Amino acid sequence: MSIVILRITALLYAVGAAGYVAYFARPRHREAATFGFWVLTAGFVLHAAAIGVGCAEFGGREFFTVRGGIALLVWLIVGAYLLLHRLYRLPALGAFVTPFALVLLVPALFATLDHPEVAPEMVRSPVLAVHVLSAMLGLALFGIACGVGFMYLLQEREVKGKRFGALFSRLPSLDVLDRLGQRLVRLGFVVFTVALVAGSVIASTVWKTPFDPQQVVFIAVWALYGLMVQLRHSGWHGRRYAVLTLVGFFIVITSMVSLKVVPGITRHAGNYGAPSPTEVRQ
Amino acid sequence: MSGRELFLVGLSHRSAPIEVRERVALTGDALKDALVQLKGQEGVGEALVVSTCNRVEVYVHAESEDAARAFFTSRSEEAGAHVYVERGVEAVRHLFRVSSSLDSMVVGEQQILGQVKEAYGLASAAQAAGAYVSRLCNRAFATAKRIRTETDIGRGATSMSQVAVELVEKIFGGLEGRAILLLGAGKMGALSAKALAVLGADRILVTNRSPDRGLALATQVGGLFRTFEELPRLLVESDVVIVSTGAPSYVLTGEMVHVAMKARRSRSLCLIDLAVPRNVDPACADFPEVFAYDVDDLEKVVESTQEARRGEAIRAEGIVEAEVMAFARERESRAALPVLSQLRRHAEAIARAEAERTLGHLGAKLDEKGKRSVEAMAQAIVNKLLHGPTARLKEAAASGDGTLPGAAADLFGIEDEAPGEAPAAGDGGQPEDGRAAVASERGQLEAGRARGP
Repeated sequence: MSIVILRITALLYAVGAAGYVAYFARPRHREAATFGFWVLTAGFVLHAAAIGVGCAEFGGREFFTVRGGIALLVWLIVGAYLLLHRLYRLPALGAFVTPFALVLLVPALFATLDHPEVAPEMVRSPVLAVHVLSAMLGLALFGIACGVGFMYLLQEREVKGKRFGALFSRLPSLDVLDRLGQRLVRLGFVVFTVALVAGSVIASTVWKTPFDPQQVVFIAVWALYGLMVQLRHSGWHGRRYAVLTLVGFFIVITSMVSLKVVPGITRHAGNYGAPSPTEVRQ
Repeated sequence: MSGRELFLVGLSHRSAPIEVRERVALTGDALKDALVQLKGQEGVGEALVVSTCNRVEVYVHAESEDAARAFFTSRSEEAGAHVYVERGVEAVRHLFRVSSSLDSMVVGEQQILGQVKEAYGLASAAQAAGAYVSRLCNRAFATAKRIRTETDIGRGATSMSQVAVELVEKIFGGLEGRAILLLGAGKMGALSAKALAVLGADRILVTNRSPDRGLALATQVGGLFRTFEELPRLLVESDVVIVSTGAPSYVLTGEMVHVAMKARRSRSLCLIDLAVPRNVDPACADFPEVFAYDVDDLEKVVESTQEARRGEAIRAEGIVEAEVMAFARERESRAALPVLSQLRRHAEAIARAEAERTLGHLGAKLDEKGKRSVEAMAQAIVNKLLHGPTARLKEAAASGDGTLPGAAADLFGIEDEAPGEAPAAGDGGQPEDGRAAVASERGQLEAGRARGP
């Protein structure tokens, strides 16, 4: 059931993205962006319903699969974008973030939910909910930062290459993009840190064995973005910083997907490497 | 209707040199006096004078163009040889094109619409503009607005300083908290620095090899003068550097910019070189976060804007044509209004008389509510009966068919109301229809506004 709702959601996102792209192509038609915003909002609400129904269907274990994980990530990206739009009023950003979110959602629409084991006790733990949500929100913010970085590189090419074409007039100024990207990275890092703390609390109580690959990747991503926050303070910005946000998110996505695709590589999928629920209770 | 129509006599940058234009150009009170004088002349109903540095145009709603022509010849003998004259639809089209900036030196520039609005304001104040000129001007403004929202005629930068402003805006957003450095005392540099003031720079720094000219320039642009020896430090302090010295070689070298960028910790730096020969080493552009432009780069943008505007102008002409036609049709359908309003008045008088007669018989038996019902019924019958004929008469007038209104007048036994005196009545005498027409025009204006950004 939840997958049907999710597919309708994807359809709404596609229509919303089309609105934003139409606005970007013809900036005179501001109403296209407004239309995009409302359709996207409707999609966001429906997406929430899909996630809720999914929770009822699978009891939370879907968040540890490609489908549920990506669906949650895209939901947070869209939500963060809608919030950003209220704050910054940059409809041009929508033309980049919404198609990106849509493409990201595609694997979730067709992936099966083959999950052998359930860890009901852990899934219902509030600390785990905090961990999953904040980790995903952090990634969502990094994802939008990546979109903003991409816009920066496009605009920089126009400004520096003296093209002054359609992109030049439609994209926001370099300064706006640069500062927005930096804020997103900083905020994402803070949220991601929360996820790290929550994650280590869970890991130390449930797992006695050393790190598994997903934990290593998680810490590496956290360190990478932490480094980016630090680099900003030591004067990194502009082009170099935009490239960093792109590279960072590329690493995030590839490692996330490869961890999910290779069977049994991490305790975060499959059997969680956890003792049986009865053992936990002892 | 009267034999009055719209006449235009004017001269512009296309037809007359500046020496002639400046002799006939008028502003403020002098222009008001001229309007009053125009309006006072025999056969002139209304008048409008558009006077800018590029054109002086006199529009009169009159029996002939004589008064408008006299406006020019009385001021300058020579002007008579340079004026152009248009009448009727051609004159309407001309005003619409002028307001939409299709006839301007720089096609698509924004000032002309404001200037025509001002001209209309003055004509109204001088009571030279009546119902006709009001409708004409409102339609012209609506046309200009439509063109601005439906085409890209106003897009892009048309001067080098405007290009500089756009560039800086795309790099820094605004210039709040930033500084502009003016290097050299060239005229273009000062112009650009002034143009950049719209972006709200915190301060303008000026430096020049000769302190005297530098100081003078600093006072002119409202900046602070710094000695030329401070240049390396100034490059660190400022974010936009406008270079226009008369030096034959590079004033800013790659090495200087390299050092400055290190001290700036790679904060973006925009270099605009307005000098020929160039004053900024092209190697400066190789550093990341340094955005350097020379005169050629800026010129190219101006050219591409003009190219694009030429294309948009073709679309704009189509809109002008449609609006001119709509305006003409509206005028024609207005011509049927006298017959219509007489017909309606005639029918209403009958209805009122009959209602009164009926109430006279029944008066005592009916309460207030009943009386009102009888009156309302009589009015309703009139409305229903006249609905069809009204629509058909308007249609006939709009399609230029003059026989139907005449036939209607004959059929209903309406006497012709001295057509010679009709214009006053035609434009203001029919409260209902006149108001409806003005309302519909206002509706169009607002529709035009709603389409705006």
